[in-house]
Amino acid sequence: MRVFAFAMYLLPFIASGIGLGAVYALASVGLVILYRASGTLNFAFGAFGGVAAFLAWQLAQDGVPAPLGWIVGVAVSTGLAYGYGRVFAPRLAHRDRVVRAVATLGLALFLFGGMALYWGIGVARRLVLPTDLNFVVLFGVRLSYTRLIALGLSLAMAGGIGLFLSRTRIGLGMRALASDRHISAAIGVRVVQIDSLAWLVNGMFAGIAGILLANINRLDAGTLTFLVIPAIAAAIMARLSSLPGAFIGGMVAGMIEALLIATSPEIANLRSAGPYVAALIFLMIVGVGQGVGARE
Amino acid sequence: MTEISKIAPIPLVVAAGSEITPRMRALAIVVVVSAVSGLIALTSGGYWLSNFTQAYCMVLAVLGCALLYGQLGLVSLCQWALVGVGGWVSLRFYHYVHPPFFVTILVGGVGASVIGMIWGLPALRMRGLYLALVTLMLAGAFQSLVTVISFPVGGPGFLGQVGASGNDRINMARPVFASSDTGYFLFVAGATILCIFLVEAHRRTKPGRAWALIRKNEQMAVAAGVRIVFYKAWAFALSGFLAGVAGALLAGLFGQLDASAFPTTNSIVIFIGTLLGGYEVWLGAFLGGILTRFIPALLIDLNVNTNAGFMIFGAALLFALRDPLGIGGQLTILAERLYKKYQAQRAS
Amino acid sequence: MIKIDTLTVQFGGIKPLDDLDAQFVAPICGLIGPNGAGKTTLLNVLSGFVRPTKGAILLNNALLLGLSPRRRVSLGLRRTFQQELVVDELTAMENVQAIADHVSRDRAVARREVGLALDFVGLSDRRNTLGRQLNLFERRMVEIAKTLIGRPTVILMDEPGAGLNESETERLRRLLVEIPSKFNTQLVLIDHDADLIASVCIETLVLDFGKRLAMGPTRAVLNDPVVRRAYLGRE
Repeated sequence: MRVFAFAMYLLPFIASGIGLGAVYALASVGLVILYRASGTLNFAFGAFGGVAAFLAWQLAQDGVPAPLGWIVGVAVSTGLAYGYGRVFAPRLAHRDRVVRAVATLGLALFLFGGMALYWGIGVARRLVLPTDLNFVVLFGVRLSYTRLIALGLSLAMAGGIGLFLSRTRIGLGMRALASDRHISAAIGVRVVQIDSLAWLVNGMFAGIAGILLANINRLDAGTLTFLVIPAIAAAIMARLSSLPGAFIGGMVAGMIEALLIATSPEIANLRSAGPYVAALIFLMIVGVGQGVGARE
Repeated sequence: MTEISKIAPIPLVVAAGSEITPRMRALAIVVVVSAVSGLIALTSGGYWLSNFTQAYCMVLAVLGCALLYGQLGLVSLCQWALVGVGGWVSLRFYHYVHPPFFVTILVGGVGASVIGMIWGLPALRMRGLYLALVTLMLAGAFQSLVTVISFPVGGPGFLGQVGASGNDRINMARPVFASSDTGYFLFVAGATILCIFLVEAHRRTKPGRAWALIRKNEQMAVAAGVRIVFYKAWAFALSGFLAGVAGALLAGLFGQLDASAFPTTNSIVIFIGTLLGGYEVWLGAFLGGILTRFIPALLIDLNVNTNAGFMIFGAALLFALRDPLGIGGQLTILAERLYKKYQAQRAS
Repeated sequence: MIKIDTLTVQFGGIKPLDDLDAQFVAPICGLIGPNGAGKTTLLNVLSGFVRPTKGAILLNNALLLGLSPRRRVSLGLRRTFQQELVVDELTAMENVQAIADHVSRDRAVARREVGLALDFVGLSDRRNTLGRQLNLFERRMVEIAKTLIGRPTVILMDEPGAGLNESETERLRRLLVEIPSKFNTQLVLIDHDADLIASVCIETLVLDFGKRLAMGPTRAVLNDPVVRRAYLGRE
């Protein structure tokens, strides 16, 4: 009986975490796809999203119709990711995973600097979407249509990409690349093409996730860029390999954060640390990775 | 001369067995750091003096980061957070006990060392990527935490906070003999020299050899009887200690510390400085650390938005990854070649 | 002495070692077999990197099961790997010293053992040369010197002669035959060079598909038609 009451108590927080969870889920899935295909963990995911969000916002400010702004934003983030995948990533393809991930960190810093430079930091902005106006009440929580759409969109995109990977030839190539790059290259899998495609998908996911987060949370260079950290935490909990796991991990991360916000004001400030701690505890318990073994 | 253009990047550079003896290297460390510090002390006004003092603190942070990456291939993205931990611990200790400054520094170093190990040890058994992630998360968690609890300012209780008016804030005092800005800068320079010696001592003896074995092939190291976790932990402890000392010195510089000085991005910048300067040689840490402070300070001086600094560092990282030597490494190779030429000429 | 008892290793559907019974008694023993026969897996089980699914191994009458790799090193087990693992940034002497740091009784003993080992392999006058400046033969010699530190009892060598030319292989051969007497240790050798095995190893174990194909005096084993068919059948 007490458990049931506790669960009922939690439901509002779970509901309020739907939007954020959906964004993290989308991000987590995007990260896992790229990691599986190219072995690179993209730290610039959040920054790509930030660029998309800021462009969408700026274009709306300048009078461009909102939908066009979103499309341009996502297109630019997609293009940025594709460009990086085409130009910089191949030069580091022979280095170990850590180096490749650290390189994307540099890209993230670069983009963060650019956004902060042009649009400033600490300015309170939100990216308003028309679907914010209507809402549904679920378990006593007001959920804007945007959040529901976020959930639907991330489910659709994650599901879509999952189908793509399992049903198409290119998807097969991506999965082959994930298991063994050298052999895949030797049997004719077009490594560069598939890598670039993986980056493209990553950029697209990032743009959409960024726009949604800029609406749900706020339009701020730091917040958007470091969205990537809870997303990575969620991806780790999926061991960087399972798509459904990544999705669920992202939803859970979002709900944990919503829970922390609602618990108390002091803890709310620490809410951004929540996913990190959860991921660390998870890693310690599960002990991902080998003990003694050659470094990758 | 044309020698400079002929320097081809060698993957790994200076080692104990080259003709440069340990004594010569020790002399070079003292001479170079003293000369640079002397020049700075003589020519800098208040703004630059403060910034160079901060830069030297960053040198210590980079020294630790370079130790982990250069000796063991471990990426630590939380070094600046550990500096913050060291600063917090030393401030807390100072307000509690008012000990001699050296003790405060040591306590700060040990404090950061312990925290760094607690966070890093679980990740030591994992693939390198997870360590990088876990340390980045620590940096983020620290930023959140310290924004909430702030740095101690002499108030009551564990957190040492005072009322909103802030009139009762107490600054941490500098050592009596180094209380002027110039004096404190030279004090920090001296501490830097000592820390460089500490790291070099490690590299040339048993721990350095063990780290080299681990880095070459962990299985081989195990088959040679090396206690992997112990030596990795040792490296972590030393790296954290250096960060903690840097934090204590920073606290001494400003008397107080502010949470806004410890964002996650700064830990990333420290790592970038490690790569830019070159992680194989001490000169790399020295130059890299100075650069990470010099560039933002220069931008402020030129009235350029400091976020441009992030763009510079981000782009620099992408290019620094291609070259393991870094600026410090290239300069060291150059210096060694010139020295060998000089020796050859003297012989003939 | 090594005694192997019904040793089996299984990963999923693969059995790198299958119910292996064998003994290494002679001062120098050979371990040969076609590629994929399980030789390196056997060494990895001995070193403690791979856990057997079934069976036991005795090293000088000590049961190895459950002992950590480091513990086995303290029992006198030493090993080289297929690729030479000399650290480029350390000198030849420092490479060997790095081993002595962890297995020698104290620093004075360490210094003596390092000197003796480098002398034995003929690298005394190259002791201060950086690892990256040593040629392949010298690097293989460093690897051998590393195994001679700290009173070894059994040394496992995985293809010490790989990549060496004829005169270098001859020098290697002369060194290997002296190790048991000079260092009071047993030597187990994997190599693909039949001549080297024949001239150095007193007894030899032949593996094929993880099973014991033949074991006994080296000449007899190498002339065994079953063994020859196993090798020829693979080409």
